[in-house]
Amino acid sequence: MKLHHTQTEKESYEKMTPKVFLIYVLIVVFCLIVISPLIIVFSSSFRIPENQTSPLYLFTQFSLESYKRAFVNMNYPQEFLNSLITTGGSVLVVVLFATMAAYPIGRIKAKPARFLYYFFISGLVIPSQMVIVPIAQTMSRMHIPNTRLTPMLMFITCSMPFSVFLYAGFMKSVPVEIEESAYLDGAGLWQRFSKVVFPLLKPATVSTVITQGLWIWNDYFYPMVFISKKDQYSLPVGMIQFLGDKENPAQWNVLFASCILCALPLIIIFMLLQKQFINGIAAGAVKG
Amino acid sequence: MTTEARTGKKDKNRSPVFTNKMYFFTIPALAFFLVFWIFPVLQLFYYSITNFNGINYHYDFVGMKNYVKIFQNGTILNSVKITLIYAVIIVVLSNLIGLGAALLLNTRIRGKGIFRTCAYFPALFSAIVVGFIWSYVYMPTSGMIASLLTMAGLDGTSFNPLGSFQWALFAIALVEVWKSFGTTMIIYLAGLQTVDESLLEAGRIDGCTEWQLIKMVKIPLIYPTITINVILSVIAGLKAFDFSFIMTNGGPGKSTKTLMFQIYEIAFNDQKMGRASAFSVVAFFLIIMITVLMLFFMNKKEVEL
Repeated sequence: MKLHHTQTEKESYEKMTPKVFLIYVLIVVFCLIVISPLIIVFSSSFRIPENQTSPLYLFTQFSLESYKRAFVNMNYPQEFLNSLITTGGSVLVVVLFATMAAYPIGRIKAKPARFLYYFFISGLVIPSQMVIVPIAQTMSRMHIPNTRLTPMLMFITCSMPFSVFLYAGFMKSVPVEIEESAYLDGAGLWQRFSKVVFPLLKPATVSTVITQGLWIWNDYFYPMVFISKKDQYSLPVGMIQFLGDKENPAQWNVLFASCILCALPLIIIFMLLQKQFINGIAAGAVKG
Repeated sequence: MTTEARTGKKDKNRSPVFTNKMYFFTIPALAFFLVFWIFPVLQLFYYSITNFNGINYHYDFVGMKNYVKIFQNGTILNSVKITLIYAVIIVVLSNLIGLGAALLLNTRIRGKGIFRTCAYFPALFSAIVVGFIWSYVYMPTSGMIASLLTMAGLDGTSFNPLGSFQWALFAIALVEVWKSFGTTMIIYLAGLQTVDESLLEAGRIDGCTEWQLIKMVKIPLIYPTITINVILSVIAGLKAFDFSFIMTNGGPGKSTKTLMFQIYEIAFNDQKMGRASAFSVVAFFLIIMITVLMLFFMNKKEVEL
């Protein structure tokens, strides 16, 4: 597939016929429609908060006043740090536990392994809101206090079905022979897993980190239910506090700046790692 | 070596390398999954026959009263209907737009990367941010669409989709499509890249039009990709919660109260955990039923091809 890709890239581009021109026009118009709300948000975020002229006049003013106010309102450094800890910690545990679980599931050809595979996947269809009542009771009965840790437990759990599914799919591409020779060289089970199999699963790990990291960073539901202290809010939960400001047009420019600030870390990562992102998302669905 | 060989002898047709000892590796993941996901699902059945309010642990068993109530006052049927409409919109639009964009971008044109980035960009944003942005887009009078209508000489002041019983659901479903079609497109693009170029060449030599190539060669060949995309969007559609919660708060009236929103509202606003659990149990069976039907239908179709 890699070969095929480079081949098409080397091929010449389509000549400019009326049909090709029409394709260009279609794509450009479509893309403009899709990103127009984002352009307006971006342009308005650079206005001073008091500027109430129509946001449709793009980039008429450049000021960081709205950003300054959003930065303070959100308590940005604190919320950013909370998001980072929550997402980083959860993804780390997910990668470790999901690879471990997928190892026997992908390797052993027997009924229990297949049962476990479908058992984990079945978790995909259950929505969080559906089980939130008993989950909240479980947490309080296990005396787990409402800290940053509580939503992390749920993030890890909810990521398991998809990650196990992904790793089990990728496990097929790790040749059995490599492991067998490691076994003959006297490698134990854990050594075989950590030194031989895990490094070879790197594409699946990239895919897991991106797909799961993306939703965990963006999720507001679990932190909203389980976190009560303001200094433990993550970025999306911080945004929920502004829901009331929606009704107040005087707040829009600051609100737009907050939106950009909230998404900024992901935008930067996406810009830097675009190829890995696109491949990781596609691999998640195609390989599994 | 000797011990391994012995275990190998014990269960035949299993290699000595991949022993049952490997199952221990599933314990951490399984522990999380059972305690925080499967066990809560089972607890739903128990809570659904109580009048538990989330605070007071001295609750009573009320039998089927919760179920009778949600069916009698029509909340469950209303939410099922709304969720199904929402899911159908997501599945149809997200896949049509995603596949269409992927087919356009799979041609040999310049600037493919930029277009792909544009289409995928909305997927990066948190639902809460997307909700804010589209609240502005849909805002009456001074919102993006309303001002564009006014500029075009039309009546922008009467444009208020989120306040309309008829359009609110479509409006928030469209937001979800905006956010999700990029991911769908990426998956379709990956699927289209596996289509053998020589097959298309052969078709062209036989005089097929571009549309015929798409219909007769590309679509049948990417059937597995279509299956996975449809399944993913059905699951996403049935989980609808975000934009009802952020943009419309279930309103106007009950017109955007999806199953998950209704459950959340009964549990956390009305403090009726028992009734919310009964709701969840019904939702659970509905989701399982739809998933099983879908898998059955999709698998059957795939064999035929």
